[in-house]
Amino acid sequence: MEIPASQMSTCLPLSWRLRRATLVALLLGLWAPCKIVWEQRIAQEQDFLRYHGVTMTRQLRDELGQGLTIGVLSGMRSVVADLVWLNVTTAWMNNDWWKMGSYINLCTALQPRAPVFWDMGGWELAWNASISTLYDKTQPNELRRIKASRFWIDKGLEIYLRGIENNPTYWRLWNDTALLYDQRLKDYRTAAYYYRKASELPNAPVYLERFSALMYDQHHANDDQAAYAEWKALWEWLTPEERQMKIHEGDRIESEIRRLEQKLSVPKEKRVFPN
Amino acid sequence: MISSLHRIITIARNTLTESVRKKVLNVLLIFALVLVGSSVGFSQLATPGLDSSGLFDAQIKFVKDFGCGAIGLFGFFIALLSTAELIPQELHNRTIYTILAKPVRRSEFLLGKFLGVVLLLALCVALMSLAFAATLYWQELQGLKTTDAAYAQSSNWQANSVLVSAYNHDVQQIVQQVRDPQLIEAIILIFAKLVMTIGIALLISTFATSSIFTIVTTFMIYLIGHMESTAREFWLASGANSSIWQSSLVGFISLLIPDMNSFTIVDEILAGNKVPWSHALNLIGYADVYLIVLLAVSVVIFDYREI
Repeated sequence: MEIPASQMSTCLPLSWRLRRATLVALLLGLWAPCKIVWEQRIAQEQDFLRYHGVTMTRQLRDELGQGLTIGVLSGMRSVVADLVWLNVTTAWMNNDWWKMGSYINLCTALQPRAPVFWDMGGWELAWNASISTLYDKTQPNELRRIKASRFWIDKGLEIYLRGIENNPTYWRLWNDTALLYDQRLKDYRTAAYYYRKASELPNAPVYLERFSALMYDQHHANDDQAAYAEWKALWEWLTPEERQMKIHEGDRIESEIRRLEQKLSVPKEKRVFPN
Repeated sequence: MISSLHRIITIARNTLTESVRKKVLNVLLIFALVLVGSSVGFSQLATPGLDSSGLFDAQIKFVKDFGCGAIGLFGFFIALLSTAELIPQELHNRTIYTILAKPVRRSEFLLGKFLGVVLLLALCVALMSLAFAATLYWQELQGLKTTDAAYAQSSNWQANSVLVSAYNHDVQQIVQQVRDPQLIEAIILIFAKLVMTIGIALLISTFATSSIFTIVTTFMIYLIGHMESTAREFWLASGANSSIWQSSLVGFISLLIPDMNSFTIVDEILAGNKVPWSHALNLIGYADVYLIVLLAVSVVIFDYREI
């Protein structure tokens, strides 16, 4: 039924208005349970995809302060995390390592799925803080300096490992951990493990593949058997065309396998390069 | 039907023209564009010296965060201020009487106004997104320039296959992060959330007597909307531990307030994580249905309002 033009604006007939109101009340009644079910499904999907790692807690609220908490509650979590990161940079410039550590923890708590915070946070603690304390002349003796340095290395390592837990497919965190084991902790076997894991992840640079093998060589873990196995695995992974190219280029994989086969007296029939 | 659509479009066009002429909105838009542009400066402040070592992940993340943050924040202000003024201003200027005296339904008037603000918001978001894209492109150029300079330090690096592969990898990483197609998904989700905000503000403005009331109430609902998921979880899980009042309150919030927190999924996109399109479409569908409900309620309330 078409409404007469004269009745269109301010004075819709009461029956029309009541009918509309009833329809909307019905719509609302239907929508409310659907809304809850739909929202639950969205939340489950997001949980499955591992989003929203950390919820707002009282401790987090106290650490952030009122302004930033409102920012988080307004859906500006990433911007708030970036603003907190500014404090990390300031603390780093002032060599205030404790403050820097707590801000890094805050940033990673706000955005656990932002690998950049774990990556840079671990680097700040395990490298910047630890090296700075190693040469800190205000400490009375070297033992204290080494102890303090080791403390920050452990803190950085903790950040890297927690970062890997939250972002297992981000190659750089595995690489950072490997680098720390390699260059600061001199634990080459563990470094080899992390390099190997990093090289297997998406977007990892191709040169990482040989780092795990390098970790076992004479200059590092000095485990010729393990090094040989790693180089051999790398060689077997290549396509025939790539192998030809590597031989043509005189690549290190080939030379290392030849050297180790000689050194370990591998029987000719088991060698990759019998000649 | 066609004539009704025609009337809605005419009101929408008029609303858009009026809104574009408002100085407050123009100033907000300028601030938004400045903030999006200055995100580059901020990123360099947060990561001093990192550009020299070619670590661009952090800088690109900051630019993305601030760009999308500015679109979300200023888009929210633009949506809120322009919607809150729609009906009170028409009443104050008495223009609503001349419009409603014509053969225009109240629902058409309301839908036309809504469409006008949505168009305005779309225009603003498109402009801010363009500025954001330009900023990201500038960041990409900087990244490539610094990478070139870093590799140029080693003489004849192009002859070394390992260095060439590392260079290609670095360049690919920068380009991949800057030209991430998921950013379109992020902007669409931000827009969907903002349109929901318009719906809420419009609903409140149908019974509010002043713009301030609409602004404050919408802002509160927006904030509560980000905690709705917590209220819902509590309500659904609450047993003997909560009183009937507590349970009723959180139940009321859960049933009434939209879940704005789901849209913070945009943060995941900005952090470089994959968010499937199916999930984004699910969220957009949710926003659309919610909007239909909000508009239906707004129309009924506006019908009953004494003008």
